[in-house]
Amino acid sequence: MYGTLAIAPKSIRDFAPLISEDDLAELYRLARPLRGLRVLNLSVTAFGTGVAELLSASVPLLTNLGLDCQWQVVRAGEEYTPVNRAMYMALGGRYVLWSHEMAEMWQRYSAMNADLFTSGFDVAVIHDPQPAGIRSFVDEGRRAATRWVMHCHLDISSAQEDVWLLLRQHIEPYDAIVFEAEGFAPADMRSRGIEVIQPAIDPTGPRSMDLSPEAIATFTERYGIDARRPLLCQLSPLDESCDPLGAIDVHYRAKQEVPDLQLLLVATVVPEEPLARASFDEVARKAMEYTDVFVLSSLNGVGNVEMNAFQRAADVVLQRDLRRGFGLWISDALWKERPVVAAPRTGVLEQVVDGDTGFLAEGTEDFARRVVELLKDRGLAARLGAAGRRRVRERFLITRYLSDYLRLLGRLTGVST
Amino acid sequence: MLGSVPTTPKALQDYEPLIGGERIDEIRELAAPLAGARVLHINATAFGGGVAEILGSLVPLMNDLGLQADWQVMKGSEEFFRVTKAMHNALQGMLIDWTPHLREVWLDNNLLNAQLFDEDYDFVVVHDPQPAAILGFVAEVRGHHPAGHWLWRCHIDLTLAQVQVWDALRPHLEGYDAAIFTLADYVKEDLGGPRTFVVPPAIDPLSSKNADLPADVLRGILDRYGIDPTKPLMVQVSRFDPWKDPLGVIDAYRAIKPELPDLHLVLIASMAHDDPEGWAWYERTVRRAGDDYDIHILSNLNGVGNVEVNAFQRAADVVIQKSVREGFGLVVSEAFWKERPVVAGNVGGIPLQIVNGKTGYLVNTVEECAQRVLSLLRNPRKARKMGRAGREFVRDNFLITRYLRDYLRIFQELKGIEPQRWEGAATRAQV
Repeated sequence: MYGTLAIAPKSIRDFAPLISEDDLAELYRLARPLRGLRVLNLSVTAFGTGVAELLSASVPLLTNLGLDCQWQVVRAGEEYTPVNRAMYMALGGRYVLWSHEMAEMWQRYSAMNADLFTSGFDVAVIHDPQPAGIRSFVDEGRRAATRWVMHCHLDISSAQEDVWLLLRQHIEPYDAIVFEAEGFAPADMRSRGIEVIQPAIDPTGPRSMDLSPEAIATFTERYGIDARRPLLCQLSPLDESCDPLGAIDVHYRAKQEVPDLQLLLVATVVPEEPLARASFDEVARKAMEYTDVFVLSSLNGVGNVEMNAFQRAADVVLQRDLRRGFGLWISDALWKERPVVAAPRTGVLEQVVDGDTGFLAEGTEDFARRVVELLKDRGLAARLGAAGRRRVRERFLITRYLSDYLRLLGRLTGVST
Repeated sequence: MLGSVPTTPKALQDYEPLIGGERIDEIRELAAPLAGARVLHINATAFGGGVAEILGSLVPLMNDLGLQADWQVMKGSEEFFRVTKAMHNALQGMLIDWTPHLREVWLDNNLLNAQLFDEDYDFVVVHDPQPAAILGFVAEVRGHHPAGHWLWRCHIDLTLAQVQVWDALRPHLEGYDAAIFTLADYVKEDLGGPRTFVVPPAIDPLSSKNADLPADVLRGILDRYGIDPTKPLMVQVSRFDPWKDPLGVIDAYRAIKPELPDLHLVLIASMAHDDPEGWAWYERTVRRAGDDYDIHILSNLNGVGNVEVNAFQRAADVVIQKSVREGFGLVVSEAFWKERPVVAGNVGGIPLQIVNGKTGYLVNTVEECAQRVLSLLRNPRKARKMGRAGREFVRDNFLITRYLRDYLRIFQELKGIEPQRWEGAATRAQV
């Protein structure tokens, strides 16, 4: 038995004002034959990650729909933390030194966690590849009694070879492997069923819920941001994959035409471990002492609600680059009717329709031109914002994600839905 | 019984090559009549901070001399440590909202520790305000002052202490037999009861922060952090906060840089994970450094530990401590021990450690700082001479052996042993 998380209940009914009646009815229809289905979600972390955010919405909602859904967290000692982190980075294509000892420790922890696996689940969903080895170490009998899903929330298409070779044999036998986008799977992966389920936001969660103008003003003022002046915001990791240095260039360029423009960079990864720290330093050094550039993170006390407020306070939301992952925070911004200017990358292209829900741009000049255009033409900004919210309502709300999941569970268990 | 902190054994003999046989003999003579004496140190933390560093050396040295010294850490709830942190700040001059609730949390936890206190000692040294009320509660529980001598060792500067907080603390100190302060200036006039002593802090020349480093280790560390030892280097080791003025250090560096284009600056800080203010100052410092990568900003989060600090101080041509407010600033003595000239703010305990113009320079402004650093960088012979003089001054005044000697003298005096011929620097001032 792993540590089971107690989760605040949620009700599908709360989404009635946000989605169409048909979509709501469809959810109930899909869930009906799956009532009582015992589903285990197993993840590495309980908070602070996108996976944790998604699970804290999907698990109580599936429970509300009548499934017997649980969320448990794998057991790991302190010694395992660097192994998990190295594996995470290697999967994302950032080179790490992957030693024989690390591989052994990974196997040892996989086996140890397999012993903790309790039978009685119809479906086990393992979130992300790091704990995916557990399945191989569960004894034959219990393994066969369960359908196994590996839900990969990372782009592992350029995973480091030695790490991927180790994982591959454990992952390929899964009954289903879920990615956020088609291109995120390694080219040489063989599987019985590759599924694509795009991630989604919870509009009632702390990152997307409505905030009063007073609350927004309180949060921005606390960090010295001037609410009367235009604000550009990028919310992302501060490493090169999202090019925050380029965002500073865009601000610098756009400022020549909109002199009172401010830029806010919010780090979604705590700049604590050495690499994230080095990225922060690079950004801070580039920002120099320009008082119009703000660089914030959880180390300044910025959490989900603050990020929510910052996106709402922004006049334009930037995504200068996105070399890894889906970039779901773009949907967070679109939901808030913010116009987005973003580089055309896999996850972005799903969310931003050029000229409709935002602008696609490449290079400092191009970005700056679009930013200035949006700052000067408030009507255009409002139109794009409204279209952005519509797109999220149709495609990136947690309810759509749930219906995808229910269909997958139905197929796996042979229940026709 | 509280939790004992294990320490690594140390031998006084190992210090002989550094301070000479005469001083070693003096310490042994002082310790002889105290052989077998049971000594207990109580403080609030086993790791981090100057107090834990000093106890890690002092306790094993006392044991080496035949005393039975133990170091125990008090127990306390998370809330207690939050409260005592606020108290600590208030006693150093920050204004806090001192509520009855805070006082209660502090006292309740002291009572709890007093109830765990079930042995007798010849000397109990209670460090700083956190555990200070234990004595009163032990006396209350037992109905009398516990056996042995109780000493309160204050490591902080109380001169600007918030009155309510000091008033809450003071009555709990009155039962002590002795109170030891860091500087004569820090002694509180209105503290009635204990006899007061002054013992400035000291460095352990054999600790990983100060011990000699083999040349290849030194080179390896500089290489790893991209520091070219052939180029002139300024180093400041201290927290990023307004009192240590890291921005002023960068400004001073910038003022010199046009004259010495090869100049490098290393700023090293120890960062806590739960300190938003420290983080904000870190950011300000990095941003002031801007895109000048001859300024290196390092911290424990980059893997900089004691040995690395040691290496950077040794590699420095000039060590800076540009504080505008300072406790004692022991880092100055650390630098001198490595024969580095020091340019430092004329505040707190710094003037006690620097012989102005002979071992280093006391400065009040960025301009002065830049001027002094430049003159030292342009005159390496003078710099070397100052560094050597600095080491001698530390050898005489700020080594852990002197600190140990002071404690032994105080113990003797409390026991009523006839004092011998006492000499030495400003290490003792009876008030």
